[in-house]
Amino acid sequence: MTRQDDELLPLSLAASPVIEAYKQHIDRTLLRENLRLTTAERVEKMISALRFAEQVRASRVKRHTE
Amino acid sequence: MTDFPRLLALLVNAGVEFIVIGGFAATAHGSAFLTVDLDLVYRRTEDNLSRLARALEPLNPYLRGAPPGLPFRFDVDTMRSGLNFTLTTDAGDLDLLGEAAGGGTYDALLPRSEVRELFALACRFVTLEALIHLKWSAGRPKDLERIAELEALREERDGG
Repeated sequence: MTRQDDELLPLSLAASPVIEAYKQHIDRTLLRENLRLTTAERVEKMISALRFAEQVRASRVKRHTE
Repeated sequence: MTDFPRLLALLVNAGVEFIVIGGFAATAHGSAFLTVDLDLVYRRTEDNLSRLARALEPLNPYLRGAPPGLPFRFDVDTMRSGLNFTLTTDAGDLDLLGEAAGGGTYDALLPRSEVRELFALACRFVTLEALIHLKWSAGRPKDLERIAELEALREERDGG
């Protein structure tokens, strides 16, 4: 059987017990909050969090070198 | 930090045909995980390879993790002889995939993608369902938590 270029490889997406176990620890309030935002707002929020993480990292490095 | 707006603007304005996948697409769909690079599936036509090479040239693309000084040039010939490229650029890390795991070529993903407005640009993102499919296909243990979140996201979106 050959695969067409416009097809994804078949995959069984039946519920996995591993994924179900992980799902129990997902904070769904965060997801619901994000779903209320536009795509642009979701991305801006992620970029702000990245900037914050970078600032924290930079301040740690600065403290260690002082 | 990767300058997502700059990278996307360069590519969209150059008319490059691509689909956003990976963590950045997950963010667009509502994921709460952070991502540090941009993953794209690009169309492997000659015209598109030219547009892609031209668009990225000002950003000095280089193989990520390779020792400095290697004679690497990101041009059409390089893209023709390779498929997937993990690059570092002046605007941050960029993964360019001719095919993502699971058969995710541009043509395969096109009907499983949607255009969303971002940074005043029309960007094409893989659908949430196809993103889950790609993550499963990658088969990486580190993706299990991400898949769980994406599945939860789909349930929340669909009112489950």
